[in-house]
Amino acid sequence: MPKLRNIFLAAGLFVVAALLIAPGGSLLYYRSTKGEGCARCHEIRPSFDMWAASTHRTISCNDCHGGLLTPDADFHASNLRRLVRHVRDDAPQQILMSGQGEIERLTARCQECHQREYAAWKAGPHSATYADIFTDAEHNRKRLLMDDCLRCHGMHFQGGIEDLVTPVATEGPWKLVREEMAGKPTMPCVTCHEVHKKGQPLGPRAPRKQPVSSARQAVAPASLGLFDRRTKVHVAVDLMPVPQIYEGGRPVKMSPDPRQALCYQCHAPEAGGQAWSGDDRTGLGVHEGISCLACHDPHTQQTRASCATCHPRLSNCGLDVEKMDTTFKDPASKHNVHTVKCADCHPKGVPPKRNRGLSIVSSLR
Amino acid sequence: MKISRNPDRRRFLRTAAGVAAIPAASCTRAGRRWRFLTDEQADTIGAICDQIIPPDQDPGAVSAGVVHFIDRQLKGHYAYLQDAYIKGVVEIEQAAQEKFGKRFSALASEQQLDLLREREKTAFFRMIADHAMQGFYGDPRHGGNRDFASWKMMGIPNPPVRGRQQHDLTKS
Amino acid sequence: MALEHVNAVVIGSGAGGGIVAKELAAAGMKVALLERGRWISPYECAKDDLRNQRTSVLGASFGPDDEERNPRVKVEKDGSEQIVYPSRGAYNNNAMCVGGGTASYGAMAWRFMPQDFRLKTTYGAVEGSTLEDWPITYDDLEPFYEQAEYEIGVSGDVVPDPFKGPRRKPLPMPPLPPNREYAVLRPAALRLGLHPFDIPMLRNSVPYGGRQACMRCRWCVGFACEVNAKCGTQNTVIPAALASGNCELRTEAIVKEIVLDAGGKARGVKYIDEKERLREQTADVVIVSCGAIESARLLLNSKSRLFPNGIGNNHDWVGRNLQGHAYTGANGLMPFDCYDDVGPGAGVAICDYNHGNKGLVGGGMLCNEFIRLPYQFLGRMPPWIPAWGKEHKDFVRTWYRRAVNVQGPVQEMPVFHARVEADPKVKDYWGVPVARMSGNKHPHTLEIADFMSRRAEEWLKEAGATRTWRRVPGDDLSAGQHQAGTCRMGNDPKTSVVDKHCRVHDVDNLYVVDASVHVTNGGFNPVLTIMAIAYWASHHLLKARS
Repeated sequence: MPKLRNIFLAAGLFVVAALLIAPGGSLLYYRSTKGEGCARCHEIRPSFDMWAASTHRTISCNDCHGGLLTPDADFHASNLRRLVRHVRDDAPQQILMSGQGEIERLTARCQECHQREYAAWKAGPHSATYADIFTDAEHNRKRLLMDDCLRCHGMHFQGGIEDLVTPVATEGPWKLVREEMAGKPTMPCVTCHEVHKKGQPLGPRAPRKQPVSSARQAVAPASLGLFDRRTKVHVAVDLMPVPQIYEGGRPVKMSPDPRQALCYQCHAPEAGGQAWSGDDRTGLGVHEGISCLACHDPHTQQTRASCATCHPRLSNCGLDVEKMDTTFKDPASKHNVHTVKCADCHPKGVPPKRNRGLSIVSSLR
Repeated sequence: MKISRNPDRRRFLRTAAGVAAIPAASCTRAGRRWRFLTDEQADTIGAICDQIIPPDQDPGAVSAGVVHFIDRQLKGHYAYLQDAYIKGVVEIEQAAQEKFGKRFSALASEQQLDLLREREKTAFFRMIADHAMQGFYGDPRHGGNRDFASWKMMGIPNPPVRGRQQHDLTKS
Repeated sequence: MALEHVNAVVIGSGAGGGIVAKELAAAGMKVALLERGRWISPYECAKDDLRNQRTSVLGASFGPDDEERNPRVKVEKDGSEQIVYPSRGAYNNNAMCVGGGTASYGAMAWRFMPQDFRLKTTYGAVEGSTLEDWPITYDDLEPFYEQAEYEIGVSGDVVPDPFKGPRRKPLPMPPLPPNREYAVLRPAALRLGLHPFDIPMLRNSVPYGGRQACMRCRWCVGFACEVNAKCGTQNTVIPAALASGNCELRTEAIVKEIVLDAGGKARGVKYIDEKERLREQTADVVIVSCGAIESARLLLNSKSRLFPNGIGNNHDWVGRNLQGHAYTGANGLMPFDCYDDVGPGAGVAICDYNHGNKGLVGGGMLCNEFIRLPYQFLGRMPPWIPAWGKEHKDFVRTWYRRAVNVQGPVQEMPVFHARVEADPKVKDYWGVPVARMSGNKHPHTLEIADFMSRRAEEWLKEAGATRTWRRVPGDDLSAGQHQAGTCRMGNDPKTSVVDKHCRVHDVDNLYVVDASVHVTNGGFNPVLTIMAIAYWASHHLLKARS
């Protein structure tokens, strides 16, 4: 096939020429087109169009994704491969986020502006690293690692579980295939936030509002969405289901807070939706019907001082709710604050209401 | 497409950027909306697909991205069907001109249906109907079913909420 | 560079080859396991509903993954022929990857019934069919069925099935809890006086074999399991074979031919390795486990002075009797939601119609179907709904969650002219003549299918379906994922290809171990029988060797 060879040869020459003279040229090209040049390539067009209508449209492509001067060999190699595929007319349907380096650059860029959120995330459990999650001997001894782990931990990892941990077996010791992954977060900002999400760019930062405490007021920020490992794109939170949870045959009262759809993707019940099956943590008892986010800070996940957003200092019983015998006060308590019922402390029956009643709680539903 | 207020500066920068721009500039379709189709072909295909899966209280084929699906696949798995698409579109456009004197997409719905019903048994129509269904009911990763249009219509939650049993294999 | 001689070379790592490789390696033989495909991970599979092994419109994700390199030829009834590619239905693809079909199957784990091995004795000869008894019986295979159930792992509950053959042990795992379709269909079957029970499945319902239980997602048949709960050879016996230290798995190894020595014994195989080099692997024993189409093709392409028409083919039986399953059944519309998104979907079956149907030779199992993904659902539309337009869309919207599908595989009447040949003109990328498939179903197969679809319809009506329609197969050749029959097992070398231990007549160190050897294919998904025969053949091979 001499024709094919010629095409290859031509493509090869272009690439070599581009490599030699490109840096300055393409930087100028990129600048002169204000990023529009990127979208001349069809496979980037969908992402470009989303970006152009997004809250982040004032931040340029290579600010987050990297550019010619980015010191990341993998990044340039994969771009080169893309270019070759493009020239060979064998382009993928869409160019999707890939590569650990790109994820790290994104995360660092998020941090530049969203410092407070970054710090909160960093302090909380959702910043768990690959080493934390995948080389935990206690876990790995009891439970065989599998690809499905990566659905919630490490959805940006390019590869299967065998490419990440060795051995995939219940006998260790376990180590990461690529040791440099150890300290990287498994759930970075882009796990739950779609950077290209539609919206107006923010001006100078508005003063922070009081945390939203009622589900009725809760409006999901446009950026909320889960990075779906299988399709390598985000699913916006308003497209995702908040499941109906059951306690036995009884449908549990569900908070209408749409943001919870994101939580439920990973903190999910088994098939059938029974409360507390699988990884479910749905509130029952006195806290039934309350959104996850009414108590948990979205970035740290911690609940410090969260009682005060709803409760008067003293409970119906005249006790300080923060000092009652629940897991809020002491994780070792046998009364899980998610499911605590009046009857847990009043096994002989709940005394008649003395004041105020539960009207405050019901206003949260 | 307006990208710089000063055309001279823009031309200068473009020239300076020459080499890097070669791959993009050498691509004759660069900057166009479709990868394979022309705007006219996409228009006809969209009109056909919107009869196959018409919009109603739920999105129809075009707003669910079915034309994007077809366009992408014609540069992918269905590249071997490029000719069949081009010929099929030419044929139906000719028929539209002869019978009604207009482009297919400009016809009234009943006129479009007339032409399509006459062609129901042709290989082209069967192919485009099947591809429209794939684009509309298939996974959005292939360019169609935008925002899970069809899955929402059918009542299929996505992604499903599904946790796992917490087995302790040391005890089984 | 010559490769080191091995005791056994096994060609194909699917249901048959994976087990043989492990059995021989565990017994201390040095084994080279050659697989033309690759390992396919759940990461690659990515639950793509248009690109998987059941719906392959955008590609067959479990191989062959390069369409152009792997063509076949399909001959139609009118004699016209066309070149077909793996992602298209007429290719009759199964899979080409480590684990073969077991990496992506639905995983029903049926034992054939005792009568299935003696169809001719039970019913008499059928005109136009090469119907024959197997040279072995259910009782011969029973211990090996059990071995397959325990080593690979099967869940389910067949106790309520009064028609099954005798068994010594129960299934190793309980069934998965019922889904909504099951809850509707089981009582209906009981009301009809039928005997419903839980389908045996090669799928963990509880932790088993060091792997965890099914999470009941909607993408099962056609996909790789992300929780590793579906049991195939790729996550059971093949890792065990490799761990023994006696088995080497070589992927992307395309075997061109089996080579004979001067004395008419198999010397080994010639294959193209992953770097496209031609290699020769010599071995004491050669085992062919490529599936009914490719096993036959390999034998036919291995020509020599002693076997001018292909190895084992001096009586023109190689490639004959190609069969699969005529799938038949019915769909019903329920006045309530039946879709609960709890996979795998299939759960309840009946074997009341496998045998003893008046005027019919055999029959088949009926069960509810796996979850129909949205695009698959369109293949089950009722005849009164137009193929496109407003009504079509309305129907999908209104009925998707309320439609139930009951279906099953009809045991086919084998036909001599339904066959695989090596195509005289078309060659694959490596220059090997491709499989050429021709022939049609026997008319009686279609009569059985018609009968079965009526029974499925009755079941759905009893379950409350307000409207039903039958779905019967056409007479086109069926092979596909249940392909079988092309190297028939028998005692007479003039009317069969292998003996009852799967050894090719006249070549005493060459075996065929896959569904090719099936004389008839049961009214069931055939994989557990393939596995049992692999254990059976390995057992006898080792016995003969010692």
